[in-house]
Amino acid sequence: MIQVNNLSFSFATNEIFSNLNFNVNRGEILSIIGPNGCGKSTLLRLLRGTLKAQGGEILWEDIPVGQIPSREMARKVAIVPQSSTVQFPYKVRELVAMGRYPHRKNLLRFQDKSDLREIEQALVMTDLLPLAERLITQLSGGELQRVLLARALAQNSSVLFLDEATSHLDIDHRLELTELMVRLNREEHITIIQISHDLDLAAAISQRILLLTGHGKIADIGSAEKVMTAANLQRIFRVDVKVESNPFTGTPQIVPLINNSTHQLTGLKVHLICGGGSGTTLMRRLHVAKAQVTAGPINRGDSDEAVATALNIPLVQEIPFNPFLKSTLTTAEQLIEKTDILVVTTQWWGAGNLPCLGLAETALKQGIPVYLLAQQQEQDYTDGKAWGRIQQLQQQGGKSIRNEEHLLDELSHLTT
Amino acid sequence: MNKRQKTNLRTLGQFFLLLSPLLAILVSLSAGSLELSWNRLFSILLHGSGKEIAEVIVWQIRLPRALLAGLVGAALSLSGVTFQAVLRNPLADPYLLGVSGGAALGAVAALTCGVQSPIVIPLAAFIGALTALSLVYLVAQAHTCSSHTLILAGVMVGSLAAALLLFLLWRAPADATRQAIFWLAGNLSLADPDWLSWGWLWVVIGFLLLWSQSLNLDLLTQGEETAADLGLHVGRTRLILFALAGALTACAVALAGLVGFVGLVIPHICRLLWGPGHRLLLPFSALLGSSFLIIADAIARSLYAPAEIPVGVVTAVLGAPFFLYLLQRKGGNL
Repeated sequence: MIQVNNLSFSFATNEIFSNLNFNVNRGEILSIIGPNGCGKSTLLRLLRGTLKAQGGEILWEDIPVGQIPSREMARKVAIVPQSSTVQFPYKVRELVAMGRYPHRKNLLRFQDKSDLREIEQALVMTDLLPLAERLITQLSGGELQRVLLARALAQNSSVLFLDEATSHLDIDHRLELTELMVRLNREEHITIIQISHDLDLAAAISQRILLLTGHGKIADIGSAEKVMTAANLQRIFRVDVKVESNPFTGTPQIVPLINNSTHQLTGLKVHLICGGGSGTTLMRRLHVAKAQVTAGPINRGDSDEAVATALNIPLVQEIPFNPFLKSTLTTAEQLIEKTDILVVTTQWWGAGNLPCLGLAETALKQGIPVYLLAQQQEQDYTDGKAWGRIQQLQQQGGKSIRNEEHLLDELSHLTT
Repeated sequence: MNKRQKTNLRTLGQFFLLLSPLLAILVSLSAGSLELSWNRLFSILLHGSGKEIAEVIVWQIRLPRALLAGLVGAALSLSGVTFQAVLRNPLADPYLLGVSGGAALGAVAALTCGVQSPIVIPLAAFIGALTALSLVYLVAQAHTCSSHTLILAGVMVGSLAAALLLFLLWRAPADATRQAIFWLAGNLSLADPDWLSWGWLWVVIGFLLLWSQSLNLDLLTQGEETAADLGLHVGRTRLILFALAGALTACAVALAGLVGFVGLVIPHICRLLWGPGHRLLLPFSALLGSSFLIIADAIARSLYAPAEIPVGVVTAVLGAPFFLYLLQRKGGNL
């Protein structure tokens, strides 16, 4: 019912989406998940037509969203926003009545007699009847969220957008409202698009899940079983999880593998070959674990450089956007000679940073353990040269390691 | 107090409010340098206008003046309500968006050019007010009119106008300066009685048009995006509301100079007493605003009779303590 074709959108010069393609089926619950700041809310606002896309099109039943009159649009779709600031002391009932605006027949009232039932129902469904005469300025965050949901219900639309609508709620109301969503979907065939951070709940109720990457690309879309795999979640959220099937409902359920022991690497010298932000979290974690970190070569202006500088990590620098010079590489080599461990975190390989692999080869020859963090063939832009050398490194004793958690585990074994 | 008594009290309050402009006018008619007993006043009112001094004073001086005060009070309160809702800012008043500066500049420019005509000065003020408001709107529109941009642009245009105004006053001859200062403090001694009926027509039409936007005002208090999500054409509606509120303010300023506090305080009092729904807030604010200014003007005329203190002094002296009291009682929940 909603079709998104080649959607592109940017805020000023900051590109959020490029060439997004997907569709929303009538009568489904579609959950959008993805890391913070990847543009989930922006996507909802684009679908609603609040924001205008710079490229591509969004069609509601084959009509471009921009061409639908605003009042008709408000009858089609109701939105429950993340939160709302309230300054004017309306009563709960008055605010819910505002949901009748797109249906109003009277110039001076939000509701006619015929609308009263819708309002009353919305209040009952959200358990707000006891609060109906209270002022919204006196409500708690969770109560206010229910009021916003009630207003959306009063709109009586065939599509519902929820932007983390249950995030402030107690567990009882969260479950109740989730149940309400499912019932609206199954019985009244209301299409629901929701943004959720509760992955288990999303998996439990959604027909399909849309997983966005941190850079506004679609990582995967489809059933919860297809999308919520350990590999996907690891790749997008950079967490170590196990996906099991819920023993009661059979839907995927995420079990985070949290290591209770904090890592202690006091005094261990670790050198990182990083760049493009690939070393940021590792530098932070090593710093917290009290390891002696060095890094480089890194181009100046790289986000990893900023982190290293902030954490007082000695590093070898190169002029921005330049390939690494011989002299720079020699300086790095001298730094690496003194280290206990070498970790390669660089993810994208090009002609510019290819010589860094030479540093790893030298280190191996000197007997320094080399760890290769989450290397993938698709990230090689040197026609296979880099990937070939990485495989060679592995044969010579370089250890491939899946994620930072495993690396830290391994390093703490070394120190004890 | 139980619920029924509360409702009764509320109805009584609203009934009193409906009558309040009439009562205020009566008070205003009896106030001034010429002492009039109530009996005398009623007999003059019943008798109709005549040639006697007291009759002339009541019918041709005090009544038009009370009507002017009522008009200005209503116009300022209405535009205060509108600006507070559209800008979602409890501190917004009719003068926030540079209207006062523009009007003052227009009027003072006319005064210092030696124009004394009772027709030209209000016109100059009116044009100045609307020019300032349009300038603010055009600047803010380039950034989709967020209320922060609007307020900042308004304050800037206001400062610019104030600077130019000071320059004009510095250059002007002493008597023009004195006149200008009186005008700036608010002055209800009507220059030309013909303006009165036009002014009332303007205010009544402005009120009806604003009233028809009550629900839109309610939606806008919830924020632009929510209003748009509920199907409101935010840009168009806001432009209409600004134009209406701006025209009402400009009309008030043109006829009475800068009368402060009415537009800020009256909407708050009404919201406190009858809730924020604009269907009731607009008419009630207009009624209370006009009564308040009529009374304030009566006080201004009689306190140092036969001399008059500027009405702006009275509104501020009455308004500011009351506002402080409300703030203290209700905190941020105004």
